[in-house]
Amino acid sequence: MAFQSKQSMTEPRDRTGAVQGIEGVLLANRDRIVRFLEVRGAGDGAEDLFQDLWMRLTDRRSGPIADPLPYIMRAANNLMLDRYRSARQRELRDKAWGEASATHAPSSETSLISREQLALVETAIAATGERPARIFRCFRVDGLSQRDIASKMGVSLSTVEADLRKVYAALAVIRRQFDAS
Amino acid sequence: MQADRTNTEARAIDWLIRQRDPLFDDWDGFADWLAEDADHAAVFDAVASLDRDLDALPPVDKPSVVTIADAPRRPSRRAWFGGAMAAALVGAVSLSSLGLFGSADRIETLAGEHRTVTLADGSKIEINGASVVEIDKDRPRFARLESGEAMFHVVHRDDDPFVVETGGARIVDLGTAFNVVRRDRQTSVAVSEGIVLYNPDHDNVRLVAGKGIEARDGDRKPPVVKDVDVANVGGWRSGLLVYNGTPLAVVAEDLKRTAGMQVSIAPEASGLSFRGALIIDKNRNRTIADLAALSGTRAERRGDGWILTR
Repeated sequence: MAFQSKQSMTEPRDRTGAVQGIEGVLLANRDRIVRFLEVRGAGDGAEDLFQDLWMRLTDRRSGPIADPLPYIMRAANNLMLDRYRSARQRELRDKAWGEASATHAPSSETSLISREQLALVETAIAATGERPARIFRCFRVDGLSQRDIASKMGVSLSTVEADLRKVYAALAVIRRQFDAS
Repeated sequence: MQADRTNTEARAIDWLIRQRDPLFDDWDGFADWLAEDADHAAVFDAVASLDRDLDALPPVDKPSVVTIADAPRRPSRRAWFGGAMAAALVGAVSLSSLGLFGSADRIETLAGEHRTVTLADGSKIEINGASVVEIDKDRPRFARLESGEAMFHVVHRDDDPFVVETGGARIVDLGTAFNVVRRDRQTSVAVSEGIVLYNPDHDNVRLVAGKGIEARDGDRKPPVVKDVDVANVGGWRSGLLVYNGTPLAVVAEDLKRTAGMQVSIAPEASGLSFRGALIIDKNRNRTIADLAALSGTRAERRGDGWILTR
């Protein structure tokens, strides 16, 4: 939320102006955004996805954006992740049906991992050690910045960074194992 | 290939961590990295997708010990009593089928075979593969772990403690779930619930939940009590093995017992130790690939198994 200006805290009086602002930025940076979508995995579909992104951003009833381009790029990044996740969800669903598992009815659940897998993830986080697990929780669950975590825990910024990398690396290993099973 | 993949993943993780900062604005740098290789976007998606699932992690800063995975496998004590009759029957059936392996009271599992034996009093022994456990009908509150690994869930009786014997040691429960490994001339005990006494007659080491020991045969001094992670005690039962600086040979031994995997360690890699979590995957090649990647070794097929080299 920090990338929205303080004005968004109050009722946006000039919403029309803000939308024009976003549209203007989208148009002015069209090539850059399309290129990003392309390399982000959209390939030839990048132009179409630019339209999707346009709809997403101009539909949204939000206040003026302080720094619109990073905001748009972040939205583009999220759009691609959402597409990846819906494709994954379809894949998992098809697989479940293919295995004739009646208990795996399709659901609108947004999580792609099961409760058991989440428990394995928690165990794997804990297994990286007490400090990395705590730092990771502060970062990912409580949403603290790395700097804040460093001063709260009394460790250096590079320690925080190294611990976060370590926990994410452990999770990446677990994730690959989920995929395989 | 494995190293490339791990390296790409590490870069993807760096981007993910940086992007969580609301002020992140190096999207062009990110685009450049994505453009370097067509695989980068997919690797990033996979990592970012798991990261999004972490939204489901509980918000409070609880102790990082989780037992959900184990919960369905660890029935409450009440449930054991409730099922005592049925359990006694199961025990009897599985025991009578053991004639093949020798005396009726000797339970021997093959590598990778897991077996649960329920005793008449409702106590339960979960036996890992490649292990030998002896029980005695005339001594219902006694079991001997000859070799291998077993998790004991003991119904406590004040006047009649349950005794597990292994090597020359006696482990006496005070109402408990605990895991015991008997390796070559070495015994490890880890307690997940309640209290046990290790060798009450001489060492008399008291272990509460979350504590463990490793004792070598012939040690003069009582073993040193160490912290263990309760969530990982008996982890072999759920197919999750967690290590913290454990020699590769010990990991290989565990994999053989737990999953029937033959893993040998080349001499030049025998000094390496392993830190991390291993999931016993249906596809054993994955498990080996992870072990190799996390221990800095290379895995090759060798006969029915694998060899880890440096």
